[in-house]
Amino acid sequence: MASVVPVKEKKLMDVKLGELPSWILMRDFTPKGIAGAFQRGYYRYYNKYVNVKRGGVAGISMVLAAYVLFNYCRCYKELKHERLHKYH
Amino acid sequence: MGHKRLNPARSVSHPPFHLWGCGESDSPESEATRIPLSPTQVRSATPASVWTPAEQKPSLGAAQGSLNSQREPAQQRPLRLEAPSRSAPSKGSTSCQRGRSGRARLHGDRSERRARGPSLDLSSGTRGKAPRLKNAALLGPGVLQATRIFHTGQPSLAPLPPLPEHGGKVRLGLIPEEFFQFLYPKTGVTGPYVLGTGLILYFLSKEIYVITAETFSAISVIGLLVYVVKKYGASIGEFADKLNEQKIAQLEEVKQASIKQIQDAIDTEKSQQALVQKRHYLFDVQRNNIAMALELTYRERLHRVHREVKNRLDYHISVQNMMRRKEQDHMINWVEKHVVQSISAQQEKETIAKCIADLKLLAKKAQAQPVL
Repeated sequence: MASVVPVKEKKLMDVKLGELPSWILMRDFTPKGIAGAFQRGYYRYYNKYVNVKRGGVAGISMVLAAYVLFNYCRCYKELKHERLHKYH
Repeated sequence: MGHKRLNPARSVSHPPFHLWGCGESDSPESEATRIPLSPTQVRSATPASVWTPAEQKPSLGAAQGSLNSQREPAQQRPLRLEAPSRSAPSKGSTSCQRGRSGRARLHGDRSERRARGPSLDLSSGTRGKAPRLKNAALLGPGVLQATRIFHTGQPSLAPLPPLPEHGGKVRLGLIPEEFFQFLYPKTGVTGPYVLGTGLILYFLSKEIYVITAETFSAISVIGLLVYVVKKYGASIGEFADKLNEQKIAQLEEVKQASIKQIQDAIDTEKSQQALVQKRHYLFDVQRNNIAMALELTYRERLHRVHREVKNRLDYHISVQNMMRRKEQDHMINWVEKHVVQSISAQQEKETIAKCIADLKLLAKKAQAQPVL
């Protein structure tokens, strides 16, 4: 599956399934690369939902929801013991 | 014995006294009163002050010709100033214009290139001039990509694009629209909702999500938040918009003030440039003043010369008159003296006796008449 554009340049959605391992391995996993990835992700979210003229509640509500979910996942181990039923 | 008269001989024609900027020419009447006594000594300084503007060149040529024909070759210095000064500005202006047009041609290309240069291209398929997000590490859930320009490359000189009006669309305040669009081709409109409902029921039934006391507090808090957002969201948005507008208006004011200032500076500069064009009036006035002062001194000196010469000639005349008078008096005295000397004593007695007899006769006649 030779592609016209080199695998390195494609976005994730354009990568074919067979090329996925090579695409993942190609990524920059140095600390600088990881920091750059976080920065890019942050600015992507920021510029889409927050840095607009007439923003809405979606900007912070999505962040709070993600935070809630994250904390729930973290505490799931202790919450498991508060189940109402034993067998599901 | 006649005393001399002063004759204004008109052998010399002097260059006319021109005034600048007014178009007057004062030539014929001033020539008549001039006394041509050694013109080289009297008027050696004046022709240097005779400036003619560019439109009166033929008169200057004529004056130059007339002056050149009479004056000594040593005095030709001041006239030479005209020729190089007249030719130099024309040469300098044309070369300057050529240089300016040449430079303008060079600058024109560069300005053209600069005008075409930073064109904003917001499609995702552009070259690397404006840095884009390539290889997004986080999974974006949809096809819509953010196509903002990030300052990760060299700083571009283009102005930033304006902020988008609204953020990405989000349903239920939590789930971006891209997710619904992603599922639409396969499951239609209700797909994501069914998926959501199914997931919630699954989590509840399998107790992946455990119902505790916090659940009820979460429900009430979320309910309250939803109520507040639904009721006051619009007004808070308007308030925020007003604040934004105030900020923007302030900045716009600053920008307008700066623009106006620069425009005023441009206008001032233009008016000063226009003033420079009228600078020649100053010089004309100064030249006129100098020429008038020179003419004044010339006339003053001429008048003085006239007076002095007249004084000397009057002196000679008075000397002659006095001599004549003295001669006359002397002759009369001499004649009288000799006549008196020639009258002898005897003749004197006879004359006196005759006079007395005549007087007596006259007296008798005079006495006789009033009686009648």
